[in-house]
Amino acid sequence: MKGLVIRILRQMGNDKRTLALMIAAPILILSLLYLLLGEGSYTPRISVCNDFPPALLAELRNQDAEVTILPDDMDKDIDIGIGDTISEENMNMDALLKDKTTDAVVTVDKDGMHIRMLESGSSKAASVTAAIKNAAAAVNPSSSMNLSFVYGKVDSTSFNSLGFVLLGVLSFFFVFIISGISFVRERETGTLERLMATPIRRMSVVGGYTVGFGILAAIQSVLMILYSRYVLGMQFEGPVWLAMLIMVLLAFTAVSLGAFVSIFANNEFQVMQFIPLVIVPQMFFSGLITIDTLPYGLGNISYLMPIYYGCSGLEKVMIKGFGFDGIWKELCMLMVFILVLFALNVLALKKYRKL
Amino acid sequence: MNIDISHVVKIFNKKEVLQDVSLTAREGEILCLLGPSGAGKTTLIRLVTGGLRPDSGEITIGGKNFPDRETMKHIGFMPQNDAVYTDLSGMDNLLFFGRLFGLSGKELRRKAEDAIRWVDLGNDKEKLVSRYSGGMKKRLSLAVTLLHNPSILLLDEPTVGIDPVLRKSVWDRFEALRLEGKTIIVSTHVMDEAARCQRAALLYEGRLIENDTTENLLLKTQSGSLEDLFFMAQKAGGTL
Repeated sequence: MKGLVIRILRQMGNDKRTLALMIAAPILILSLLYLLLGEGSYTPRISVCNDFPPALLAELRNQDAEVTILPDDMDKDIDIGIGDTISEENMNMDALLKDKTTDAVVTVDKDGMHIRMLESGSSKAASVTAAIKNAAAAVNPSSSMNLSFVYGKVDSTSFNSLGFVLLGVLSFFFVFIISGISFVRERETGTLERLMATPIRRMSVVGGYTVGFGILAAIQSVLMILYSRYVLGMQFEGPVWLAMLIMVLLAFTAVSLGAFVSIFANNEFQVMQFIPLVIVPQMFFSGLITIDTLPYGLGNISYLMPIYYGCSGLEKVMIKGFGFDGIWKELCMLMVFILVLFALNVLALKKYRKL
Repeated sequence: MNIDISHVVKIFNKKEVLQDVSLTAREGEILCLLGPSGAGKTTLIRLVTGGLRPDSGEITIGGKNFPDRETMKHIGFMPQNDAVYTDLSGMDNLLFFGRLFGLSGKELRRKAEDAIRWVDLGNDKEKLVSRYSGGMKKRLSLAVTLLHNPSILLLDEPTVGIDPVLRKSVWDRFEALRLEGKTIIVSTHVMDEAARCQRAALLYEGRLIENDTTENLLLKTQSGSLEDLFFMAQKAGGTL
């Protein structure tokens, strides 16, 4: 088994590109996401009608927003209630939005405030509503909403609140691909057959593979955690070493799953075909979507997914600040996955030698 | 150690790839498996390596039922494709396989150095195998097979794709190993290589059509060429 571990580490040392993929690529993606999801200080451009309440207008100007007042002729009988057809004036406003000269047009009438924006779900829309909400709260302090959570902070960026998903999914993905492809290549080139004609035990083959790639994966995981914590300043409420432990166990699961999946693949291309089948569904259950609210008991599928345990463990440590007592169940489940996959991989080698 | 193959049947996808094959490879002899592609040569060798299990019949090596991990230490198997790691140096390949046979430390180093010099790759031992030529890979594969000084050699088409000069030197080496008392099984579809073996087994569509000393087999043909035996088998509709 030791020989196999040495060999895998040597092979990786000789294959600088794959090594770079394992170490540099997750770091690069983490940095990119840090820039994309980090503190986005966008100043929304808001246009208001000229009969906009002056008190509110003043407060809106105090907010971090660029406010312009629309000329008089644009706000004749603007009525853009729900279900109404789009009037000519409405069209006029939309032209402004489509030109991207403004992010929102705000009008006020007896039904309240109407905010028209270009597209739903954009980050611009979020900063517009935030600015208006704050302005309204400043005019009437009793209507202000002060959010707070048991776990996590109100002003935490998506990079921080989704950090655990990124770490878990990224590391799993890269390790899975590399382990799956190496194992399938071993079968393709006939070296596995040669290996099985030596006195090595089947258990040692699988063990050597798991440990060899596991060491690399563990290095990757530790680097990813250190980089996110100390360079990108990702939020870690709980102990960093515990997050590392989860990542390392998750990486070992990924190695074993990669090797297991390669049994059903005849070449590298077929390993890639398992990505949409094995990796993508697991991503949905990694914490991207709130599992409690899923219909038809679909949330129960998550109990079969290693990434779910990895990510929920990471979430508990990084966001909720749990210690070892709080996550021992997740750690145990990851071990169970590793052991079951190990046994299946040893059995699968029977195809090459019954002994 | 003798290898005894008795009444072995192997079935793939309901097709009998080997039908009731019995033969013996003896110590100090080279047994040549001859036959066209698809005759079952590789299957027979893989049965002897333990990579496949016969559907009926049995294989014993040195009187012991096979596969058995103790006996496997004495087997040197050279697969048909090169089956070496291209992202390792030639030397690292040898060191890896040597460790699998329980070699370590100075002994492993010494044996690996010997083996790599034996196939004339001494100057290229630190190069990555991906930079080797086809012939060099073949020679490295042979070095891996012989590294642990096995007493049984199973060589699946060892001379395919190598030039005539190298082929001659490889066969000279097989002859030297034979004289040391090794049991050697070589598969080939090059008939003239059979002349360098003591025994030849002719496989045709999964059946053993001839199994005798090379001398006796040559007497059976009119032209003195073993190929004739296959043409005769073909003419007779597979029954000889």
